[in-house]
Amino acid sequence: MANIVSLQKVTKNYGQGEVLTQALRGIDLIVEAGEFTAMAGPSGSGKSTLLNIIGGLDRPTSGRVEVDGREINTLSKTELSLLRRERIGFIFQSYNLIPVLTALENAEYVLMLQGIPTAERRERVREVLKEVGLEGLENRYPRQLSGGQQQRVAIARAIVSAPALVLADEPTANVDSETGRALLDLMRNLNEEKGVTFFFSTHEEAVMKRARRLLQIRDGVIFNDQAH
Amino acid sequence: MIARLAWRSIWRNRRRTLITIISIGFGLACTVFFIAIGEGVYAQFIDQVVRMQAGHITMENPNYRHGPAVDLWLKAPKSLRSQIEELPQVERTKLIILGQGIARSGSGDVSVTLMGIEPSVEIDTSPLVRHIVEGRYLDDHDGPWVVIGSELAKRLKLGVGKKMVITTNDAAGNLVDELCRVRGIFKTGSVEIDGYFIQAPIDFARRLFALPEEGATQLGVVLRIPQAQEAVLQKTRLMVAGTDIAVLPWQEIIPEIASYIKLDRGSNLIFQAILVFLILFTIFNTILMSVLERQREFAVLLALGTKPLLLRLQILMESVYLGLIGCALGLLVGGLAAWAVQVWGIDLRSLLEEGVTISGFAVSTKMHARVTIGLLLGTGGLVFAATLVLSLIPMHRATRLSIVDQLR
Repeated sequence: MANIVSLQKVTKNYGQGEVLTQALRGIDLIVEAGEFTAMAGPSGSGKSTLLNIIGGLDRPTSGRVEVDGREINTLSKTELSLLRRERIGFIFQSYNLIPVLTALENAEYVLMLQGIPTAERRERVREVLKEVGLEGLENRYPRQLSGGQQQRVAIARAIVSAPALVLADEPTANVDSETGRALLDLMRNLNEEKGVTFFFSTHEEAVMKRARRLLQIRDGVIFNDQAH
Repeated sequence: MIARLAWRSIWRNRRRTLITIISIGFGLACTVFFIAIGEGVYAQFIDQVVRMQAGHITMENPNYRHGPAVDLWLKAPKSLRSQIEELPQVERTKLIILGQGIARSGSGDVSVTLMGIEPSVEIDTSPLVRHIVEGRYLDDHDGPWVVIGSELAKRLKLGVGKKMVITTNDAAGNLVDELCRVRGIFKTGSVEIDGYFIQAPIDFARRLFALPEEGATQLGVVLRIPQAQEAVLQKTRLMVAGTDIAVLPWQEIIPEIASYIKLDRGSNLIFQAILVFLILFTIFNTILMSVLERQREFAVLLALGTKPLLLRLQILMESVYLGLIGCALGLLVGGLAAWAVQVWGIDLRSLLEEGVTISGFAVSTKMHARVTIGLLLGTGGLVFAATLVLSLIPMHRATRLSIVDQLR
């Protein structure tokens, strides 16, 4: 399997001098295509920082970060933006859908950025919304959807462009346990049936158990890496 | 989709958007209305003054301005007048003889300005005709008859048909006097015109001042389209090139009026600029607030791979929508209101019973606005362009945010 993510001695510091905070301390990590990897750890352990660096939203203080074969430390802002648009899907803890766009339009947004013709992208989005169980709700605005449904739209938005990697920051944290379980089933199915690579953070035991690979992080260091 | 996103974004806070649009509309409507009223009053006033005086363009002896006197006359042949009147922008030409003298009756004497005019021309052009309150205006067959102002009539205790004597120096410097009778009395509301101004048929004035046939102190050109003044000025200058005739715009003939209008227009513009500034401040505040409260949303869009340029475009389009709707509303309301005043006018006689004069010339108390496409496009375009410029700062802020900080 090809490496989707490759990290070598990645550090990330915030502040300086006496108030220097080391969020990541020399992380080495490889994520291969098709993985379904969870990263667990307490608050402030460095989970979000690591996700942000892999997603090209933040830059490491030192170390080498490769995503989909590209060393992102060397990319300009525009190139990073392009990489995120073409190769990475994001799922946020609080859904972060655009409130003035419908479910279909939210999911369609990335395809629009990619310049896919309207008819083609509509067709693709409808298919994906069906896959995530939102058939018939395409024209609803986020405020007209439940938390679980909104997160399904976010998942549809993340996978519709068939990215090399989907990064999810605590995707089940804002929904009840039953909805969380259903969302996880959905992500896992997408991983198994479509080969979508998921890399997500969590602090929930149930979610950790469903991951095929579990990384445990504390104080900016991965101290446990085990396959289920 | 960006256009759709921008359109829906401005309506997510409906009340704020409506207030902003109404602010733009109201401010622009006021600006258009007051500028149109101002321009209408200026145009109306200029029209009255130049028609009563020597037209939009005046031809006279080059030395006349330095020392106005009847000996500095010019010969205005019919051929020259016909040539000028053939210009499509010209309504007609008028000959006048302007001189000073003393009007005497059995009750006293008053120093006056005597204007010799062609009655058949003045009847169609001069506003004085409308101000006759007793008797009638002059006609071409009137010999030694004059029209005088109501104040002068009161001072000399004259009525219609009564006799008076005008004493003056003719073009050769001789002291002369002529007996004449009052044909009509006018009342304009101007102390200077009603008290010290007389009009007489030009033939009578020629006889009085000993000027030859076709002789006059001024040949005036009244324009159909005042905006064509510069073009007609150039053409008439070419027509008299090589002769001893100066061709001057009305601004040089009555500079005090031109200066007054310039000053008044300047102060109006300052007032309008303050109004526009207040509108723009409202727009800026709205756009900035709307951007600041959507920082997280913009961070999501950037995280998804939206190019900063596209995000700026979205904010620009929001400003375009606000500006377009607000400007359309303002131009519609302001334009219609000004157009109504242009057609029907506002009569301020009840408020200004004494009348208003500027530099001795009476201003009509019935105001008419003047709406032009240029005014609408100019003010609307300025506010719209300023709206777009104002969105530059919020646009810049939206794309300079830290994605990580906003998503935390």
